[in-house]
Amino acid sequence: MSSVAPIIRFEAVDKWYAEYHALANINAEVAKGEVVVVCGPSGSGKSTLIRTVNRLEEIQKGRIYFEGQDIHAGSLELNKFRSHVGFVFQSFNLFPHLSVADNIMLAPTTVLKRSKADARDKAAQLLTRVGLASKIDAYPGQLSGGQQQRVAIARALAMDPPAMLFDEPTSALDPEMVGEVLQVMKSLARDGMTMICVTHEMNFAREVADRVWFMDEGRIVETGDPESFFSNPKTERARRFLSDLRSH
Amino acid sequence: MSPVDFSVLAKGDYPQLIAQGLVTMLELALLAWLLAVLVGTVLALVRMTTSRLAQSAVAAWVEYHQNVPMLVQILLWYFGIATLLPPGVQLWINRHAGEFVFATIAVGLAMSAYISEDLRGGIRSIPKSQLEAARALGLTYLQSFRKVVLPQAVRIALPTLVNHTVLLFKNTSLAMAIGVVELTYVTRDIESQSFKTVEVYLFTTVVYLGISLLLMTGGSFLERRLAVPGR
Amino acid sequence: MGDILAILRDFGPLLLIGQYPNGPLGGLAITLLLSVLGIALAFPLGVALALARISPFKWLYWPATAVVYVMRGLPLIMVIFWVYFFLPVLLGRPVSGFTTMLATLVVYQGAYLAEIVRAGIESLPKGQMEAARAVGLSYMQAMRKVILPQALYNMVPSMLSQFVSTIKETSLGYVISVNELTFAANQINSTLLSKPFQVFAILAGIYFILCFCLTQLARHLERRISRRRAGQAAGAPVPVLPIALATTE
Repeated sequence: MSSVAPIIRFEAVDKWYAEYHALANINAEVAKGEVVVVCGPSGSGKSTLIRTVNRLEEIQKGRIYFEGQDIHAGSLELNKFRSHVGFVFQSFNLFPHLSVADNIMLAPTTVLKRSKADARDKAAQLLTRVGLASKIDAYPGQLSGGQQQRVAIARALAMDPPAMLFDEPTSALDPEMVGEVLQVMKSLARDGMTMICVTHEMNFAREVADRVWFMDEGRIVETGDPESFFSNPKTERARRFLSDLRSH
Repeated sequence: MSPVDFSVLAKGDYPQLIAQGLVTMLELALLAWLLAVLVGTVLALVRMTTSRLAQSAVAAWVEYHQNVPMLVQILLWYFGIATLLPPGVQLWINRHAGEFVFATIAVGLAMSAYISEDLRGGIRSIPKSQLEAARALGLTYLQSFRKVVLPQAVRIALPTLVNHTVLLFKNTSLAMAIGVVELTYVTRDIESQSFKTVEVYLFTTVVYLGISLLLMTGGSFLERRLAVPGR
Repeated sequence: MGDILAILRDFGPLLLIGQYPNGPLGGLAITLLLSVLGIALAFPLGVALALARISPFKWLYWPATAVVYVMRGLPLIMVIFWVYFFLPVLLGRPVSGFTTMLATLVVYQGAYLAEIVRAGIESLPKGQMEAARAVGLSYMQAMRKVILPQALYNMVPSMLSQFVSTIKETSLGYVISVNELTFAANQINSTLLSKPFQVFAILAGIYFILCFCLTQLARHLERRISRRRAGQAAGAPVPVLPIALATTE
């Protein structure tokens, strides 16, 4: 473990939805440049976990640190903080009334007060990076699911976040479009982006993840590097999950 | 029945009267519309806050204005509420076209209830995930609302907003009941003087139908222009 | 507040039933009579206009469409003036304010009901008409026994809200001196002169109570119908017209 402080740290985090214990005693860290894949059966709390990092979900116990700062401190400016964390949703959530360029430029111009010209240049760069340079003035309704998700990734990247969170980014896509999105994510990982990805795509995990967190019933049951997790899971629950995944 | 003769409308001071009626009607409609949109938008926003008191207050406002006839609201304002104002204010208002002022307020506030409901419906139809995505990017609640939710909500509410604009325009005719010299008042005036009923009524009918049609086609045009390009 | 109770005590009967039994019926009674008769007579007219608007015969379609568009574009008060002028000419004898108002409401509401019925018919799946014709029913029989019953059931909340609109529209009878509720209130105000706010507040209150209760009933029915429809297998979900869209006043 390096001596540099981790980018994201969960300390004894608990969350309840009324009676339902969604997250139980989560303790974990993500180092700079690390790619973590979170997997597990549905209802295990994977999405809830990453949504606590940018406070789309609130916790009742414990602490979460981002770049060393307690994200629930009273002194924290929530909006500024959120603009610093990249988030990619399962259903893309592009703004349908804005063009692709405007989607990407909205936050940089409104929150970071960048000029429209600068923001548009950056948007063009990012679209090239995700392979959609020609679609800069198209509208979300004119794009396929895979294209929309890639625009969503560009939109998150436009804010130059130190870390990116992915909430099942390919689950809502038709199978033939999953590859193009995973390719973008893989190139991000190789360029050194710190990432937490909730995903079922095990090949992606094998190729670029540094660690896998296996969650079940609100707890991180097992962690490890992808190769040993997939070939030799240590816990019974993980074994059951992986065999279910392979059999269907 | 004597043959229809429209030239009667050009005689004497009738043209001037008709012009006055037209201008007053348009002024009344425009001012009432601006008031309705302004108040309606504020009400829709207030209704979205978490305060139960605020929500009940707006709901009560909407229910009152939608269940009491427009004419009765105008009468209540002009004959009733006017008398509750301090005498100095009453005097000032009477010297400055009191009937027009109260008619504008009555129609504007009544239609604000409909506008706020239209906007509320539009806002509710925008999925929460849109707001979430905007907040996740770091936009404040107000910024998210202004740049992401409201533009989409207005597009959805546009057809009913246009319908209610036409309704507001038609409701200006009720101002004649308190003596506002708008088009319907002038129509009745000229008819009772000249007995050329068909001519006057036809003229006014064509004007009302023409403007209503203009508003409706304008609305369709706006809908098409604002439509988001899709597949 | 005491004023309001005093006015209700002294003039209550006048507001509710006019000078009956010592004179003609008036006030709220006339308002209700006009509204109920108005919507009842407007209903068959509305259905007829709706059928004309969906018919392929142009000689039916265009006049019906013209009537509907004119009623949507003209203020009610102008329609009243037209009827006030034309009806005596048509019938060859003088016509009372009540009859004028009734005829106006029938035509005006007939046009709005036509659009509601038309929406109801068009929202039913095409398969319904096809199935009815396939078993040998004629167009009119299919309409009467299969299409209209379903369409009208779905449109009950919207029609109820049109009834509420009709009640509000009767207030315009005041302008042609029909002795309905608003006219009665105005008479009381002219007599009292010292309490205009209280009188008109009472007037607004009566309409509010009446219309609010009916609107709540309409909303309740809308929820029940939506729930019923959600459980049905065949066809697309029926769009029950939002109440706000249906009101004309």
